[in-house]
Amino acid sequence: MASTQVHGAAGAPSEAGELIVSMRNVGVAFSAKRRLGESRFWALEDVSLELRRGERLGIIGRNGAGKSTLLRVIAGIVGPDRGSVQRAPISCQLLSLMVGFSPHLSGRDNAILSGMMLGMRHRDIKQRLVAIHEFSELGEFFEQPISSYSTGMLLRLGFSVAMQVDPDVLLIDEVLSVGDAEFQEKSGAALRERMRNGCTVVFVSHEDSQVRQLCDRALWVEHGKSVMQGPVEDVLAAYHAVLHVAPAVK
Amino acid sequence: MPLRYLELVLFSTYTELRAERERSYLGFVWWVLEPAMMMAVFYLVFAVVLKSSAPDYVPFLLVGLTSWQWFKSCVSHGGNAIWSNLGLIRQVKLPCLLFPSVQILADTVKFLFILALLMVILWASGYKPNITYVALLPVLLVELIFAAGATYLVAAVTPLLPDLRFVIEQFLQVVMFISGVVFALDSVPPSLRVWFALNPVVVLVDSARGILMHARWPDWWALAQVAGISLLMCALGIYLVARFTPRYVKLAI
Repeated sequence: MASTQVHGAAGAPSEAGELIVSMRNVGVAFSAKRRLGESRFWALEDVSLELRRGERLGIIGRNGAGKSTLLRVIAGIVGPDRGSVQRAPISCQLLSLMVGFSPHLSGRDNAILSGMMLGMRHRDIKQRLVAIHEFSELGEFFEQPISSYSTGMLLRLGFSVAMQVDPDVLLIDEVLSVGDAEFQEKSGAALRERMRNGCTVVFVSHEDSQVRQLCDRALWVEHGKSVMQGPVEDVLAAYHAVLHVAPAVK
Repeated sequence: MPLRYLELVLFSTYTELRAERERSYLGFVWWVLEPAMMMAVFYLVFAVVLKSSAPDYVPFLLVGLTSWQWFKSCVSHGGNAIWSNLGLIRQVKLPCLLFPSVQILADTVKFLFILALLMVILWASGYKPNITYVALLPVLLVELIFAAGATYLVAAVTPLLPDLRFVIEQFLQVVMFISGVVFALDSVPPSLRVWFALNPVVVLVDSARGILMHARWPDWWALAQVAGISLLMCALGIYLVARFTPRYVKLAI
């Protein structure tokens, strides 16, 4: 449990819960390639953020700014090479589609395997197979090896499985909806409903409209550094001001 | 939490075996057919072409290869397991030890099929079941721990040093020949025999042969030493995997 417990005034638009993730001046370096005399590059250089329970945080920034790496740090997959990360004992899960899918197994077996890799117990995922089967609209294909699936079918199955996982903090990297137009609507609606239901969400997006619609707060990341964190409109305004004044920084 | 991972290891092993079965027309017939074919090749070369004069050469070869093949496939499959799952490790938080463990379990299941076939062949050729079969369980258990230790060690280092994969196969080949798997070590000069006896594979293969062919109890002291070494290797392997896990996610694929 985090020691700081700040409650917002009742009825405030965003009620601040306890602090569950706190990052201070975090830097993360990756190995660039496999050669002797290892060269490293810093995907994140200096990022600070705070995430409270029930909050929906949008992360914006250009391609290569380090947004995806940041999500992996929050998820606890990647550890910091400098700075500090503090996380309450919570489960964070990246919304990942088709994790651990094996082409020669049936949709059913893949759903179980993937669900278990995403943190579910065997009996829980088995109970939800009916829901997965139904949501994915796979019909008889559910029992067929997924090597016979089209890309759309794979995405539908992957999304249906990923939606069953119920972490304390849901991390979303761009994917809000998948498949054809009809399924996009359905998957997008399911995910938005999940986000509105008081789940803590960190959401990486390129689309202002989505961040505006779904998030309480935004963080702007540029060249691996956190530039600004605050109300969505303020951050978006500042971000666009810089984008238009200096389209290509270095 | 640990229970969840145990479930995942077991279910992954099931899917691994199942996927392997689906990948070919003959499916799990290959689990037995492939080693049988390999044994036939060794039999042709050493018994027919080179005319090995050793008595009981065929059962000697079959028991040796069955025992060796189990160890070898654990190390060569499990040793690559973390490296080949780096993409997955980047997406979800999972203990890396999971991947080699699944391979070890899957190879052990396949080994049990081959062992059953081997026993049928031995009985049919007059090597009857005997009281020392009781010792088979501890011998196989020690071999499992030894295979796990070697596999974890290789699996821990391979992601950081993928070039190791090319060396390991050759190294295993050498170990097979110096372990008396395909031919007896009688021809080794006595001065060198002390060194050969230090090889855990020799102890394990000889114990299996003693039990299955000669109704001879294993050398318990030697077996205990191998068990000790194997446990140390396991501990070191597990430690290294835990130690290197933060680095795996930051490697270039």
